[in-house]
Amino acid sequence: MKKLIALIMSITMLFALAGCGGGDDAAAGRTAADITADGVLKVGVKTDVPGFGLLNTADGTYSGVEIDLAYKIADELGVENVEFTPITAATRGQLLDSGDIDMVAGTFTITEERKMSWNFTTPYYTDAVSLLVKNDSGIEQITDLSGKIIGVATGSTSMKALTAAAADAGVELTDANFSELATYPEIKAALDAGRVDAFCVDGSILAGYVDDTNHIVEAIRFSPQEYGIATKKDNTEWAAYLDGLVTGWLEDGTMAQIIADNGVVASFTE
Amino acid sequence: MIQQIMEPWRWQMLFAEWPKFLKAFGITLEISVLALALALVLGVIFGLMSTSHNPLLRIIARVYVEFFQNTPLAIQVFFVFYALPYASIVLSQVTIGILCVGIYTGAYMSEAVRAGIGSIPKGQFEAAASQGFTYIQTMMLIVLPQTIKIILPPMVNQMVNLIKNTSIVTMIAGGDLMYRANAYATNDVMSYGPSYLLCGALYFVLCFPLTTWARRYEARLKNRDVITNTKKDKVEEVAA
Repeated sequence: MKKLIALIMSITMLFALAGCGGGDDAAAGRTAADITADGVLKVGVKTDVPGFGLLNTADGTYSGVEIDLAYKIADELGVENVEFTPITAATRGQLLDSGDIDMVAGTFTITEERKMSWNFTTPYYTDAVSLLVKNDSGIEQITDLSGKIIGVATGSTSMKALTAAAADAGVELTDANFSELATYPEIKAALDAGRVDAFCVDGSILAGYVDDTNHIVEAIRFSPQEYGIATKKDNTEWAAYLDGLVTGWLEDGTMAQIIADNGVVASFTE
Repeated sequence: MIQQIMEPWRWQMLFAEWPKFLKAFGITLEISVLALALALVLGVIFGLMSTSHNPLLRIIARVYVEFFQNTPLAIQVFFVFYALPYASIVLSQVTIGILCVGIYTGAYMSEAVRAGIGSIPKGQFEAAASQGFTYIQTMMLIVLPQTIKIILPPMVNQMVNLIKNTSIVTMIAGGDLMYRANAYATNDVMSYGPSYLLCGALYFVLCFPLTTWARRYEARLKNRDVITNTKKDKVEEVAA
C-alpha cells in the first residue's frame, strides 16, 4: 500500500512539474500587429558578446549588431519601446517557447535540428568557428589538439563543429576533451587558469577576449555559423514578417552597414 | 516544456544516449558517496570539538562552521577551480566536488551533532563520570548512541541536500548528472523537456531510498524505546 501511494505521489509530482510550462505553451505568440498595438517589442539578446550584444553595466544600455537590428525592427513595427532580456545558450529556447520574448537575436546559429524546434530568419551574419589559445600553448593547427581540453559554451554548436573538423584532420576528440561551461567569461577564466587549453567558439565572439597572453589561431577557421533571428515554432506569421525584413536589409546593404558600424568583420565566405 | 514531453521522438533520441547518462549518474553517485563519508567524519569530529571543554577546540570548530555555513558553496567551488591553479594546486572536477561538498555539508552536520549532544541530559555525563568512564568512552558508549535518533532527521536532510548539492560541479564542467542533462538539453535538437525530467527522476531515485530508509530506521529506534519502557514498567510493577 505504501509503495502504491509513493508511486502515485511520484507520478503526480511529475505531472505537476510538466504542468509548469503548460499554460504558456498554449499561447500562440504575438503577431507583428499585436506587437505594434502593445507598443513594446521583447527581444532576447546576449549580454557578453562584444560587437553583437553587450550590456554596459555602468548605465544598463546594450550595444552591438543585434541590438541595432532589434531597434531597426522596432522602427518598422512603429514601436517605441524595445525590452531586452538577457539570454544564455541554455535559456533562449525556453524563453521563446514560454512567450516571455518575441524573438531571439543573440548569436543563435541556425541548424537543421534547431529548425525542428524554432523558426529562423535568413542568416543576417555568417561567422566561422576558431580557437583562442595561450601564447605558450603550442597549439597552431588542428592536429595539435590531440589530448587537449577545449572549453566550449554549454549548448553551443562549437563542440560538434570542432569534433567534425578534427576528425577530418585525423584527430579523434571525445566528450572527455571538452569542458562545457555556462558563459564565455567563465571559459576565459578557465583558459587563464590553465583549466582548458583552448577556448573554442565563433570568431566574432573570440575577438572580444583577445589580450596580451593569448591569440586566435589563424590556421583554424572552420564550420560557417549562420546567425538567424529565432522565433516560436508555431508563430509562422511573425517569422515570415521578420524574414522579409532581414532579406530586404541584406539586399539593400543596410545589414552590411550595421555590421560595419559596430566594428565587426564582414560575414565569413568560404 | 509539456509539448516536448509529449513528443515520443524526443524520448527515443534521449534513450539512444542512455550510456552517457548512466556514466554521469555514476559520477554523481561517486561524488555523493565519498562526499557523504567525508561530511560524516567531519561532522562527528567538529561536533565533538564544539562541545568539548577545551576553548581552543571549540574556537576551531566555530570558525570552521561559521566559514562554511556563511559563504556560498558556488564561491567555494569557483575558488578551488579557478584560483587554486595559480598556486599550482590543480584538482580534478570530481575531487573538487567531493572535497567542497563534503566539507561544506560537514559544517551543517557538525551543528546537528552538537545540538544532539547538547540535548542529552547532564545526568548522563555525570553518571558516566561517576563510573570512571573516560571522555571518549562516555561519548562513544553513552552519549552518541542516544543522540542518533535525535539527530537522524536533520542528518538525513543534510545527506539529501548533499546529493542534490553535488550538481554544483556542473558549473565547472564536472561531467555529473546535471552537467550531462544540461549538455543534452542545450545541444542538437535541444530536448530540454525530456532531458531535465529524466535528470530529476534520477536524482529522485538517489534520494528517495535514503529518506525512506531513514524514516523506517527512526521508527524502529523509537519503537525499541517504547518496548524498553514497557518492560521497565513491568519490572517496576513487579518490584512494587
